[in-house]
Amino acid sequence: MRRLLALAALSLGLALAQSSGALSIRFLDVGQGDAVLVTSPEGKSLLYDGGRSEPVLQALLRQYGVKSLDLVAASHADADHITGLIPAINLYKPRFFLNNGIAGTTQTWGKLVTAAQKAGTQGLVARDQVINLGSVKITVLPPPPGLPKNEQNLNSIGLLVQYGSFRALMTGDSETAETAAWLKKYPASFLGPVDVYKSIHHGAKNGDNLAWLNAVRPRNVVVSVGPNNYGHPTAEALALYRQVGATTYRTDQQGTVTVVVQPGGRFAITTERGTPVPANRATTPATPAPVGPSVTTPAPPSYRTCAEARAAGAAPLRRGQPGYNPATDRDGDGVACE
Amino acid sequence: MTSEPPEPMLTGRLTVDALEGHLARVEREDGSLQDWPLTSLPRGVREGDVLRWHVEGRHLTFEIDLEGTRERRQAAQAQLDALNGAVPAGEINL
Repeated sequence: MRRLLALAALSLGLALAQSSGALSIRFLDVGQGDAVLVTSPEGKSLLYDGGRSEPVLQALLRQYGVKSLDLVAASHADADHITGLIPAINLYKPRFFLNNGIAGTTQTWGKLVTAAQKAGTQGLVARDQVINLGSVKITVLPPPPGLPKNEQNLNSIGLLVQYGSFRALMTGDSETAETAAWLKKYPASFLGPVDVYKSIHHGAKNGDNLAWLNAVRPRNVVVSVGPNNYGHPTAEALALYRQVGATTYRTDQQGTVTVVVQPGGRFAITTERGTPVPANRATTPATPAPVGPSVTTPAPPSYRTCAEARAAGAAPLRRGQPGYNPATDRDGDGVACE
Repeated sequence: MTSEPPEPMLTGRLTVDALEGHLARVEREDGSLQDWPLTSLPRGVREGDVLRWHVEGRHLTFEIDLEGTRERRQAAQAQLDALNGAVPAGEINL
């Protein structure tokens, strides 16, 4: 019986994701990096960041059956956010490329802008602006003025996604100076509460902070993170999410996290695998987010060389982890691509 | 008597993609990313800097390529500004 119920839930999840009238937001499992795919009920699509690997992002877009992209956005110019935007632009030739107006100096950045030029994609500098993705309202949170232009994180672009009563917020790798400036600029009623929130900077220490989260009031937090050397997500960030009563999802543990929002704002969250970290249930969320079984099961990653593993943000790989390859563990100590 | 040929000197460039705590994420010339301890790089290195490295014998040294950084930044900004040139007014409907 349990198996039948699981199958029914899986079918329901697929049906919800594919039915017209629903908004889907996928926090893609791109390893260490960010990539969020938003598809409106009308089939209009937005890709907010693209992770740090071209082949990984390309495979995910194919896996999720993306037919077109109307808008791509780089929260800022760091490689773990923009690399996957290159094939996205080459393949789908989106109409617009939203950016913070501050060029990066890496070859990756140059490749991205060149791809946009060749595709005929119009650049859009972030400003106070609304972009309607079909019936889904996207409000741009541009970097506040006065922040140093030589620091990309501090100039991350935020996006507020609204559909009926549903609200989701994503703010790149913002740091405290940027969130503090946004707190001054926007009323609390604009910032929160949000049903789904993308953790800032993969749960880094200098991203989310209590003052900001008390305004945003996230009910569910998705941490987009993979194996990394930076200590992401930090225990402090995870404790903050618990403190504000949010249920936490992690792409390194649950894979791609999908939110399907029905007209009016009711939503469900499904994950590829695993279970989320339950919220500290001091208060009951107004909109319960049922967690279903996996909707899709991607093939485990395979890296022939350490260069591939690093490009995917997966190195180092320990024995037992998906993608571990003894051929790349030269000293045989159980850790490949150290 | 033949003198030994001089050891070849290897050189190359790295670009600092981001600083992450005590690490710098750098982009190599082949486009791949690596994490380097910040302490192994020149003092005062900043996000976006282009670094020159040299290997001579057993010694690896780095220096910030100020001119290379400036040129790269100016060219990239001009390219982006051109792309962002025609901004549509008001709400955008997709």
